[in-house]
Amino acid sequence: MNLWIGVGALVGVALAFLLVPLWRQKSALAGRQSEIRWPAVGLLGVLPALTVGLYLYLGAPGILKELALTQAQSNYDVDGMVRALEDKLKATPNDPEGWYALGRAYIAFSRYADAEEVLRKATTQAPKDARIIAQYAEAMALKQGSLDGRPLELIKAALEISYEEEKALELAGLAAFQKENWAEALHYWRRLLKLLPKATEHHEAITQAVKTAERKLDIRLGGTGMPLPPQPAEPKKAPH
Amino acid sequence: MIPELGHIALIVALQLALLQGILGLVGASRDNAAWRAMARGAAGGQLLFVLLGFLALGWSFLINDFSVMNVADHSSRFLPVEYRITAAWGSHEGSFLLWTLLMAGWTLAVVILGRKLPADLHARVIGIMGLLSFFFLAYLLFTSNPFMRLHPPPANGSDLNPLLQDPGMIIHPPLLYMGYVGFSVAFAFAIAALISGKLDEAWARWVRPWALMAWVFLTLGIMIGSWWAYYELGWGGWWFWDPSENASLMPWLAGTALLHSLVVTERRGALRVWTVFLALLAFALSLVGTFLVRSGVLSSVHAFALDPLRGLFILVFLCILIGGSLALFAKRASAVKVAGDFGMISRETALLTGNVLLLAALATVLLGTLYPLFLDAFGLGKISVGPPYFNAVFVPMMVPVLLLLGIAPWMRWGEERLPDLLPRVRGLAIAAVLIGLALPFAFDAWRWQAALGLALAAWMMLTTITGLIARRRTDGRLPLAAYGMACAHVGLAIGIIGMGLVTAYQSEKAVAMNPGDSTSLGRYEFIFRGAEEVPASNYSAMRGTIELKQEGQAVATLLPEKRIYRSSQMTMTEAAIRYGFFGDVYVAMGEPLPGGTWSVQLYLKPFVGWLWGGAVLMALGGLLAALGLRNKGVGA
Repeated sequence: MNLWIGVGALVGVALAFLLVPLWRQKSALAGRQSEIRWPAVGLLGVLPALTVGLYLYLGAPGILKELALTQAQSNYDVDGMVRALEDKLKATPNDPEGWYALGRAYIAFSRYADAEEVLRKATTQAPKDARIIAQYAEAMALKQGSLDGRPLELIKAALEISYEEEKALELAGLAAFQKENWAEALHYWRRLLKLLPKATEHHEAITQAVKTAERKLDIRLGGTGMPLPPQPAEPKKAPH
Repeated sequence: MIPELGHIALIVALQLALLQGILGLVGASRDNAAWRAMARGAAGGQLLFVLLGFLALGWSFLINDFSVMNVADHSSRFLPVEYRITAAWGSHEGSFLLWTLLMAGWTLAVVILGRKLPADLHARVIGIMGLLSFFFLAYLLFTSNPFMRLHPPPANGSDLNPLLQDPGMIIHPPLLYMGYVGFSVAFAFAIAALISGKLDEAWARWVRPWALMAWVFLTLGIMIGSWWAYYELGWGGWWFWDPSENASLMPWLAGTALLHSLVVTERRGALRVWTVFLALLAFALSLVGTFLVRSGVLSSVHAFALDPLRGLFILVFLCILIGGSLALFAKRASAVKVAGDFGMISRETALLTGNVLLLAALATVLLGTLYPLFLDAFGLGKISVGPPYFNAVFVPMMVPVLLLLGIAPWMRWGEERLPDLLPRVRGLAIAAVLIGLALPFAFDAWRWQAALGLALAAWMMLTTITGLIARRRTDGRLPLAAYGMACAHVGLAIGIIGMGLVTAYQSEKAVAMNPGDSTSLGRYEFIFRGAEEVPASNYSAMRGTIELKQEGQAVATLLPEKRIYRSSQMTMTEAAIRYGFFGDVYVAMGEPLPGGTWSVQLYLKPFVGWLWGGAVLMALGGLLAALGLRNKGVGA
């Protein structure tokens, strides 16, 4: 493996730093060759062994393989999955769940126009599925760059079907936030927080958003907006 | 791949450092030229391998390799490239890697520049530095490994502490560390002298340039740190007596004492034991300071317990190092001791008195810094020791030091007679007092801090400059070191002027301002033109626009910012400063108030720049002295 070639090269250079000066002293030590031979032999044995041993103990020799594997897997997964899904949906187009999954995949690739199109298909096939409608609204909003108009109508429609729809709550809160309706944004987001599993990235992000909205609301109500965020706003200590 | 190779490079460096230590010390005591040569080779190799490790870490930061935990914890995709590189030493692990890199650099400098030293002394110094490096590398690899990996890697890192996203913080740690680590050279020379029992004038001559260079770097490092705190923390303070600042002040004070004691040892052969003690102390305090700042005990003594291995490692290392060197000192000091012969009133006595006062001042800082930590650690309650204590205890202790600074260069070595000395300085003393009393009247009000600062500074400048002229007249051409000393002393005087005047005459005002409002402070008028949002890659700023007018004339537009950093949600104040020779105008955004109103903080800081200007002159003086000593052809 490449890494071990690197180890060999590094140890070789290190040995050169020690043995070349030793070699240069040869003439000064004429007749006492053993004074050169034994240190040299010792170093040639100990330095490589100790380097490998310490690295196996301290390092992560398996990491390269693992990282390579993850990368290959993720490449394979993503491309393969999308292509397989496209093929499957061509064969059996009446599959709202399938269109929904494909739409989300397109969004992940920033292919918003494609996402909007397939999600529209999904909503026509499942007109009462709040989750699909909310996702359609997001795709549309991403494409046009704003939640205003049709996306917002769709979000409201999704919430009418189910007030527990996470994506719809998030987007509704965002729309309100963008219009500076802090209290309304808080209403949606606080509701959303109750639904989300704790200690996840999503939960964390929404918590931050709620804090921001609370601060804005506090300022509007005449406060200073200061009690939040919790950490001191002006760290006085110099970190080193 | 690159991080793994960096990791392996550090493992190789660890072994080279140990070999350097053993081969150097044994090669010296057995008089084995081959081993000594290998120790020198190991030192060169160690620098190369630590450098490879450092570059590997820097590379991981540059390419956002979040599978390296250190990168994931201290960088992010949104961090600008320049801070991504400097984030490499923004973390605990990275900064210790920087420390070991600088240590290896100083070692190689000793290897190369010390070629003309006696072979055994040279090898011993290299050997001791090798053992020190070994400890640091072991600490790094076993407790603070910068190359820990994460699997699977996160998609983004958690960003660099916003306080560190600043040019001042890029150069402050390397300079400070150059100073700390530089004292390891003097330390190694001291240990080598204790081992061999050979400590004479030549030894002092060899150590002086090294100690001077370390002191120069430390001075600059502290200066940059103080300046950074001034503009970054948002209220224009320049020294806080914060434990992390005290941690750098203590080795500086010990180092300053060491420089002056070395002069006595070199010129007169006296104070040998004292000089060795100071060399040990300066480096020991560098380590204590690093331990305080890096182990986390400052933020909370209980942070120490969260990661006991790290703290314990440094603590054990400190005990071995300080205990070992003091034990060696106790056992061997008599071997190097030679009764110095000087009278009660002499330049030696003046320098020694100044030295003792510096150490007493150091002790007060040490007490004020460590005592609260001890109390807290043993659960005896929390106390806060702040500026009132230090100002009341430290400052009065320094006044006699500054008075001695003026008079010592006038005194004769060996024996001085007061009747000879007094007439020479009496006129200068009277002039200094008069200047101190009179000059404050030029300001708005007469204040004692200004008078004290100006009188001391006048005394120091007058004595230094007239002293230099007098020496030129009697001695002819003066060595560069003499100019270096004068430069450093005048620099200190300039710094004292800055301290005295800014303490006496600074003024401030906090006002709520609507766009269009104006307010005045001193001779300035401030007009608030509103605040607007300015986005950047990793933060979003509200930037205020404030027009500055003086006597109706627009003189500047100041743009202070309030930033919110995305990843950490930390708020930072970015002050706008109009720097001036006679003082700064300092504006910081406070908090947004309802309806587009902002609270704005305005400060006038007269003569504050002289502080840092003075420090630069001091460092320049040290540099001149170091160059002068090297050019004398002393070989080290």
